[in-house]
Amino acid sequence: MYMPDYEYHTPGTLAEACTLLGELGGKVTVLAGGSDVLHKMKIGNLVPDHLVSLKNLKELREIRYEQGRGVVIGALVTHDGIYRSQLLQKHFLSLPMAAHTMANTQVTNIGTIGGNIVNGSPLADLPPILIALGASVKLVGRSGERVLPLEEFIVGPGKTVIAQDEILTEISIPDQPTTGSTYKKFGLRKSGALAVVSVAAAVTVEGGAITDARIVLGAVAPVPLRAKSAEASLKGKKVSDEAIEEAAAAAAADSRPISDLRGSDEYRRELVRVFTKRALRKAIDEGHV
Amino acid sequence: MSKNYNVIGHSKPKIDGPEKVSGAAKYTGDLKFPNMLHGKILTSPHAHARILSIDTSEAEKLPGVKAVITHKDVPTLKYGLSPARWDENIFCSEKTRFVGDKVAAVACLDEETCYKALKLIKVEYEVLPAVLDFLTAMDEGQPLVHEEYARNINTEIHQEFGDVAKAFAEAHHVRTDTFIGQRTYQCPIEPHSAISMWDAGKLTIYSSTQSPHYFQHYIAREFGMDIGDVRVLKTFVGGGFGGKLEPTGLEFAGAVLAKITSRPVRMFYDRAEMFAHNRGRHAQQMEITTGVDKDGKILGAYANFKMDGGAYTSLGIASAYYAGALLPMTYEFDNFKFDMYRVYTNLPACGAQRGHGAPQPKYAFESHLDNVAKDLGIDPMDIRIRNARRPDTVTPNDFKINSCHMKECLERAREISGWDEKKKNKVPGRGIGVSTGSFVTGAGYPIYRTDLPHASAFIRVNEDGTAATLYTGSVDIGQGSDTVLCQMAAEAMGYRYEQMKIVAADTETTPLDFGAYASRQTYMSGTAVKLAGEEVKKQILEMASFMLSLPPEDLDCEDGIIFSKSRDDKSITFQEAARKHFVLRGPLMGKGVYTPPKLGGTFKGAAVGTSPAYSFGAQIGEVEIDAETGEISVLGIWDVHDCGKVINPRLLHGQVHGALFMGMGESVWEEVLFDDKGKIINAELANYKMLTAMDMPPIESEVIDSYEPTGPWGAKEVGEGSTNPTLGMFSNAIFDAMGVRVNSLPLTYEKVWRALKEKREQEAAEKA
Ligand SMILES: Cc1cc2nc3c(=O)[nH]c(=O)nc-3n(C[C@H](O)[C@H](O)[C@H](O)COP(=O)(O)OP(=O)(O)OC[C@H]3O[C@@H](n4cnc5c(N)ncnc54)[C@H](O)[C@@H]3O)c2cc1C
Repeated sequence: MYMPDYEYHTPGTLAEACTLLGELGGKVTVLAGGSDVLHKMKIGNLVPDHLVSLKNLKELREIRYEQGRGVVIGALVTHDGIYRSQLLQKHFLSLPMAAHTMANTQVTNIGTIGGNIVNGSPLADLPPILIALGASVKLVGRSGERVLPLEEFIVGPGKTVIAQDEILTEISIPDQPTTGSTYKKFGLRKSGALAVVSVAAAVTVEGGAITDARIVLGAVAPVPLRAKSAEASLKGKKVSDEAIEEAAAAAAADSRPISDLRGSDEYRRELVRVFTKRALRKAIDEGHV
Repeated sequence: MSKNYNVIGHSKPKIDGPEKVSGAAKYTGDLKFPNMLHGKILTSPHAHARILSIDTSEAEKLPGVKAVITHKDVPTLKYGLSPARWDENIFCSEKTRFVGDKVAAVACLDEETCYKALKLIKVEYEVLPAVLDFLTAMDEGQPLVHEEYARNINTEIHQEFGDVAKAFAEAHHVRTDTFIGQRTYQCPIEPHSAISMWDAGKLTIYSSTQSPHYFQHYIAREFGMDIGDVRVLKTFVGGGFGGKLEPTGLEFAGAVLAKITSRPVRMFYDRAEMFAHNRGRHAQQMEITTGVDKDGKILGAYANFKMDGGAYTSLGIASAYYAGALLPMTYEFDNFKFDMYRVYTNLPACGAQRGHGAPQPKYAFESHLDNVAKDLGIDPMDIRIRNARRPDTVTPNDFKINSCHMKECLERAREISGWDEKKKNKVPGRGIGVSTGSFVTGAGYPIYRTDLPHASAFIRVNEDGTAATLYTGSVDIGQGSDTVLCQMAAEAMGYRYEQMKIVAADTETTPLDFGAYASRQTYMSGTAVKLAGEEVKKQILEMASFMLSLPPEDLDCEDGIIFSKSRDDKSITFQEAARKHFVLRGPLMGKGVYTPPKLGGTFKGAAVGTSPAYSFGAQIGEVEIDAETGEISVLGIWDVHDCGKVINPRLLHGQVHGALFMGMGESVWEEVLFDDKGKIINAELANYKMLTAMDMPPIESEVIDSYEPTGPWGAKEVGEGSTNPTLGMFSNAIFDAMGVRVNSLPLTYEKVWRALKEKREQEAAEKA
């Protein structure tokens, strides 16, 4: 394993970074924590001519609350930073808990939320819960910025709508009426395991009835998948085991798993059912956890 | 047995602890030599292919490349474990036999250039149909992995002791079960590495090895050299587990590259290359039949096995024999039959892995025995205690058992695990399983044919007696043998452990020892060390006798103090006497040597499995299973071992924990997986799921007070024995929890889930 030759850039400002991305010729790759990028380079799946490191963009390492936008998370915040954020723990504990299911200490100390999203892996741990919480991403390019729902950002395995000169700068989670959310991950060992299946759920329960629910499935489709028929089946229903079972079955039907070395499609579909049920129960009973 | 010792029997701190903890310890890959080059091996991308041509010219032109070698540049002598099956070459010449087979190598100024140079070597292949399934490898019409081995049979074993057919005819119940064991890999944390260099006609290799002596022998043979002209030494080693017991292309190619360039050459395998080289545990099909009487007493057993050897013999012929040889250990029965085919496939070769050959057959036998117990309505614990081997017995295949506390191990495990209580008050979803294991304390015969002793040692006390150095060829690969052997040396000398130094595992400066395999060092190297220590003690007491004017028989020495047994007022220190000895008689030295007695029967293959002593152990594990997902949580494991006298309790329990860790991984989590072209798809640690610290359950490890009459101070093995019961224990605990038996390893969550689903469907069908 060795790193192919490349040129390394460390822009000092966001504007400079965007210019570099837009103007350097050849294959240009953004480098955040590098836990995906360097791995791909070492196994020969990625051979960039240029790496543009974001390490000097200190402003992207913050988590803050902004009136009107909600909780705003800089793209360079690490998984460990998310796990330890008091602000996140207070508003949406489900996100720190999702970060806690990831990888191992070495990786959570360098891997970033931005990298986890832009990498576009269907089994990444943060996108499902972020989508369930209705998060948006802010993209900054040479000609300005745009904000779009995270759900629309990831379009295929490893594919997003980011433009060549754009950088993901912030992820925001809006103020919302949801009463509970959680992320359930099924891995094959207790630490350092990738998701065989994951389920994120966010629910709004009023007076014993479910007024709204968002369910997002990981590792069972080319993208983090909204289980739309499961969500629809819950709307307006009184909280009950039957309603949850029905939604869980609908989520399993919504999923489109493949068979690979971590599990067969049949097993995964059943796991979707089981973990949708468990996630809904937890979000309904325990709030944002 | 009840005697209190000053040094042995105590948890002395590891002699290399501070170096390892502070990071000062240097492993082979950390070493640098002036002018050192870096080497890499080019391997086959195809499972089975004819080599049509190799063009190295472009690679040779690349700046920084100092040598490129292929089969034309190396000896053509074949190698392997046993002369009848030498089947591997340094480089392939006509065809490659697995993805990862060695084709060429380069030596360059830096590592990066090596990778670039490898890409420039052009090999033209004609891809051949490959043999990937060991169960059909012997069928008519299958391609041949080696033309000289008909039907791809590498090793064929047919043994029968007693009369199995008669035993089955007379049995109350006869049952057959078939199980599959998976291919696993040792995964030592430190990669294989070697640095080779020549000085005139002498070759020196620093290697991450379990046996410098075997490497020296093997390498000298390959290059037609005197073994005196080959020096192999190890630095610190980060684990081996059987995978570093034979030389690899790193030593062979490295030696040639170093010769051609006249510079030291450093070579190592990265993680993926380690997997490709492999030599891990064989995949295996195991059909077991036993006949029992109405009380569950085993009357006879028949083991009918097939093994996936991969492309070469490696150490696998021994694995094949061990698979059967160690089956009749923990339970007594007189009639035993064993049939085995080890077949070639176009997959990486398999070899020795912790518990060599024994853990999977144990899984099969212990699962099967639980099935038999269920058929008869007997508690799994009771059927084991009823059949447990007793001391001073002989197995049907002629292994002599001296000390053996099999029954006590089972009874103690039953007690500390709360077996009876847990069986009585079953918690839904939870299950408890028991299994047993036994292992050799060193192999009775050498790893290659020779009449050399198996171990030797000497001790040199320095001129003023303030330190003593133990010289031994034995090999500390992390298990702590340097510590244990220094404890034994100090005990035998009457000296202090804290003043011991050690020089080990260097074929030039230390005396012969076969190394770290077959759980042999505490016993065999230890016996040699004990004799060396006693020789020092005898001389120091003679000197003290002269100094104190007392007869030597009246003197003894403990903890560095020489004292009179009859008078309180007469004593001197070891140090004073040692200094005097040096002044009057020169260096104070002692030496010891160990050769096992002649062991075993005379039938074909009788040597494999012989040992001067055997460990025994019982393991109980409790699991909780999520019925909806098949996820297995391990609630606790109780391990009770009979390993003779314990030299260092903390290191002993460390071995039990380590063996359990590996056994657990093999039980549920680990498997080397291939695509349909024979390429490994999980040659990394994300998807080859070794367990993490987070996965380890609470473990209670206990030993039975035991004494092996042939061992040094009564000691026998522990390092591998504790892996043997684990796989079967998990199978039985899952069976107890869920009433389903998974007949193939690893017992993954998905397999458990599927078995439960099938059971539910069957029950529903029966109701309807
Ligand atoms: C051992 C190991 C275990 C792992 N376990 C897990 C796990 O359990 N769960 C999981 O989800 N992931 C896991 N990962 C994957 C990885 O760690 C995460 O996806 C991580 O969040 C990636 O972040 P990074 O900062 O390292 O990204 P990088 O590797 O630097 O980048 C990843 C991708 O995102 C792009 N990118 C990064 N930041 C930006 C930005 N701000 N704007 C535009 N593009 C950007 C890069 O160009 C690249 O394409 C694991 C990785 C390793 C090595």
